[in-house]
Amino acid sequence: MWAKVAWRLFWRELKNGELWVIAFALMLAVLTVVSLSGITDSVRSALMQRSSNFTAADKVLRSSSPFQPEILQQAEQLGLQTAQQIQFNTMLFAGDNMQLVNVKAVSSQYPLRGELLLDTAAGQNSIVAPGSVYLEARLAQILAVRVGDLLDVGAAKLKVGGIILEEPDAPLNLFGGQPRVMMHLSDVAATEVIQPGSRISYRYLFAGSEVKLKQLETDIKPLLNANDRWQQLDRQSAVGSALDRAERFLLLAGLLGIVLAAAAAAVAANRYSQRHQMAVAVIKALGVTAPLARKIYFSHLALVTGFASLCGLLLGLLANFAVQGILGQWIEGYQAVFSSKSAWLGISTALICSLLFSLRPVWRLTAVPAIEVLRQQNGDSRIDYWQLLSGSVAVLALMWLFSGDIWLSGMLFLACAGFGLCLLGFAAVLVRVAKPMAAGQSSALKLALANLRRRLWQNSFQLMTFSLALFLTLVLYFLRAELLEQWKQQVPENAPNQFLVNMTATEKDQIAQQLQQAGLATGTFYPMISGRVLAVNGEMLQEPEQDDGAASRSNQASKQQSSEQSAAQQSTAEPASGRQGFGRELNLSWLSELPANNQITAGQWFDGPAQVSVEQQQAERLQLKLGDKLTFAIGGQQFDATVSSFRKVDWNSLQPNFFMLLSPDLMEHFPATYLTAFYLPETQQSVLTALLKQFPTVSVISVAVILQQVTSIIDQVSLALTLILILVFAAAVLVLVAQVQATVEQREQELAILRTLGARGRFLRQAVLYEFAALGLLAGVFATILAEVLLAIVQMRMFQLPFNLHQSLWGLGPVTGVVLLTVLGALLLRGILQPTPASLIRRALHN
Amino acid sequence: MSVTPELFIQTRQLCKQVALPGNTLNILTDINLTINRGDSVAIVGASGSGKSTLLGLLAGLDVPSSGEVVLAGQRIDTLNDDARAELRAQHVGFVFQSFLLLPALSALENVTLPAELAGQRDATARGKQLLELVGLSERMHFFPAQLSGGEQQRVAIARAFITQPAILFADEPSANLDSATGRRVEDLLFELNRSQGTTLVLVTHNPQLAARCQRQFLMDAGRLTEALPMAEGRSHVG
Ligand SMILES: Nc1ncnc2c1ncn2[C@@H]1O[C@H](COP(=O)(O)OP(=O)(O)OP(=O)(O)O)[C@@H](O)[C@H]1O
Ligand SMILES: [Mg+2]
Repeated sequence: MWAKVAWRLFWRELKNGELWVIAFALMLAVLTVVSLSGITDSVRSALMQRSSNFTAADKVLRSSSPFQPEILQQAEQLGLQTAQQIQFNTMLFAGDNMQLVNVKAVSSQYPLRGELLLDTAAGQNSIVAPGSVYLEARLAQILAVRVGDLLDVGAAKLKVGGIILEEPDAPLNLFGGQPRVMMHLSDVAATEVIQPGSRISYRYLFAGSEVKLKQLETDIKPLLNANDRWQQLDRQSAVGSALDRAERFLLLAGLLGIVLAAAAAAVAANRYSQRHQMAVAVIKALGVTAPLARKIYFSHLALVTGFASLCGLLLGLLANFAVQGILGQWIEGYQAVFSSKSAWLGISTALICSLLFSLRPVWRLTAVPAIEVLRQQNGDSRIDYWQLLSGSVAVLALMWLFSGDIWLSGMLFLACAGFGLCLLGFAAVLVRVAKPMAAGQSSALKLALANLRRRLWQNSFQLMTFSLALFLTLVLYFLRAELLEQWKQQVPENAPNQFLVNMTATEKDQIAQQLQQAGLATGTFYPMISGRVLAVNGEMLQEPEQDDGAASRSNQASKQQSSEQSAAQQSTAEPASGRQGFGRELNLSWLSELPANNQITAGQWFDGPAQVSVEQQQAERLQLKLGDKLTFAIGGQQFDATVSSFRKVDWNSLQPNFFMLLSPDLMEHFPATYLTAFYLPETQQSVLTALLKQFPTVSVISVAVILQQVTSIIDQVSLALTLILILVFAAAVLVLVAQVQATVEQREQELAILRTLGARGRFLRQAVLYEFAALGLLAGVFATILAEVLLAIVQMRMFQLPFNLHQSLWGLGPVTGVVLLTVLGALLLRGILQPTPASLIRRALHN
Repeated sequence: MSVTPELFIQTRQLCKQVALPGNTLNILTDINLTINRGDSVAIVGASGSGKSTLLGLLAGLDVPSSGEVVLAGQRIDTLNDDARAELRAQHVGFVFQSFLLLPALSALENVTLPAELAGQRDATARGKQLLELVGLSERMHFFPAQLSGGEQQRVAIARAFITQPAILFADEPSANLDSATGRRVEDLLFELNRSQGTTLVLVTHNPQLAARCQRQFLMDAGRLTEALPMAEGRSHVG
């Protein structure tokens, strides 16, 4: 029988809107957790999948030793797909023409991810046939061969099978790499290129589920040699770091959102319990035992929790679906990932929220004694320390659960608690001070301030929650803006999407002119020349022991990191101890001016002859000090340069960057080629085609596709950021609503009393609105100060962004506070501000 | 304690004290009171004299500090909260000064609530009957906020009678109503008291209302005396 009554009461409470704030708060908490964890997961996996396309596999193992069948067997036993690749440099002969090339021999399964496109006699396909070689277009031009011609590769004679149109894991030979040749793995033996001591890079390609790949990694550990390396996604790259920041932002936002939603749930549960004390006393007086009362009200709590978590879960999953859909459009062949993790997180969130925030108030509610019916007073509104404690534990638990990072959660929690206490203190002082201030004010203002004072503790607590809610929203708003701004700078509109390399001095001028005629703006023409660093202060550098392909690629990538692609191919390994050289030629440049995206971290930009400016990380690697003497070799010539400065280079910028910049006097007499970057609109592709026809030795590297992808990732992430900001803002508003509502009854009675005492309605309305405006102003100012402090900390520590004062924050914070609270106050209290005194009095008395 | 069925409520040496910081406050001292089945009893007295406190003890809403209370043949001062609640569910009805309807439920639902909680079957039919009896059949589905004070109190009376309680406690049932409405509410109480044979115990400030009861008690600073009807000349009770 009780179930029927409980259900009816529940339904009616729901209709009356009593339970909605709790339900919304719970739902918001669940939604935040589910959507955030889902979205970050899927964006991360999308990035993984995308970078898989760039490595032609999910995971690549590089080795300088021949393939070990055991490794491949292990992988196949785990159900992973495998492919093999061998890379080496060799001379290619076509009649009288010859060229040093980079050969990539692949097994039939290649590529496991991404697409290979070959232009063969039989049309476009992706089959690397045994007995054939496939050439890069410019190589065919250099060698003057066609499909069907025979070439000498080492000892083997192979037929030109076709032209490589698209290669998923193409090296980003931005700056003068060897042209690419592809062939089948089975032909390698016949070339006799592989001799003891020759530099060969062996690559195992794997594809499959993340779990199995992890498993493989541990399984084959004992089989690996010292120089075997797993190739990994590099977080330093443009997209990697953008995403990294976004992830951190989402994590932070999620944590703050959860805290807010939880706070709203707690406040709402308290209010609910206070409002229902009389009802519980009544049903108890009517003969309901305490266990029965508990059954009724706990069933309400359970229903609300269940309902809210279900809605939160569904909405969260919907958000995930939407994001997956968007990702699917953006990555071809994107495989949606749905882990049950986010659902579990959501359910746990709901349980923790309702258990630790609402259980206690509802327990207290059902403990109200029946005798209360004879006491004509509102239930007690003392602070329940148990709830404060259980609430704090809950917040911490939620943060931990969500972030999986006890340290971050603990710090953030302590920060919030600290802020809360500060605010409470501030508020108490301010509210006390408000009295003398009120003297001599208009009477409505005076009444408002008097009211503020009278509910001192309640108001201090309110002020604290208002400020916290505003503060968190402001912080996220500005962080988001900051991140977007950073990304925009990184990939500005019309960012250079074409690189021209290998131009001679004369070609450079002609090309510059032609581009200008076509209305295309070119950036700096960087002179470039290959050279080695031989010695530091006369001490010869050791050659690193590394397989050649990986070494050149890895250094190339981190040196002139101009795209995600190079980043994806960067090996994790850096050679360790000792002062080791680069083991290869570096691209050197000389400039009289410091490039815009470089920053001197120590020393001075060139102020004399024979100087060199070294990139910071490389300086560390070579253990350089300012004033050290470097010996360079270009061709057969050697010269010395003094280290005059260290530079920080923004590798995220899609601009040419150099490890070593030399003072102009050193290199003027060396034959250099030039490099430049420019933006080519889609519509003007013909300009480029014409240019290449005219200057066949000039190479073009297009990063248009990569740029597009970077931009689209940033767009998606921005969207996610905006979404989360909305969620957090909603949580904040919910906190405010719950708080204001909590005081409605009390205000109702006060207003009724004041009205019966003859106060005019307009006057009372004004007083109430002033009160809210004052609260809003205070909360806004507090929030602004705290936000500025936290922004400074977060920006510098978490996102490694430079600090700057947020001027607009100082306007936005207080104004938002005043407007939001006044509007909310007016909306929520309009019921009791508008009606006639009679109905007001009746309502007050019926409470 | 032997109990005759006629003695529906009985108290012996009933005391209620509350501990305040520093001293103890004696709210009720040595109350000895007997109320028979079907009686109508008024308790009058100054504000703060302890009337509501006594009502709470008689109805088993609270327990005394010392002394005994017998309600419907059972000692209730030794029962725990839940046992007393069950006893109330069986025998007791309430009407309060401020009505205390559940705002979320309609008039009819408020009326049927005690019967439904007690698992009675025909709650709705009888609820409608009772609402008709108090003249509110038109307002059955209204919510308390949509009803006037007098209407609310009539709903409360209907609620009090739905379980056909043997005893009805009313704490200033008409204090919040204008005198005409108050009178109508009082009429209803007495009518139902007579027709259903309910014992009626009411607390009031209103001497006219008190005069309508068969017996009147005066509460003065926690002590109870029965006001003697002139004709019968009975002696003090307490
Ligand atoms: N729990 C309690 N703690 C402290 N004092 C109490 C408590 N309950 C009652 N009192 C005090 O006991 C006295 C009697 O209260 P009671 O409510 O019974 O008075 P009353 O006769 O019903 O008054 P009124 O006519 O104003 O309703 C009052 O002075 C009241 O303040
Ligand atoms: Mg009283």
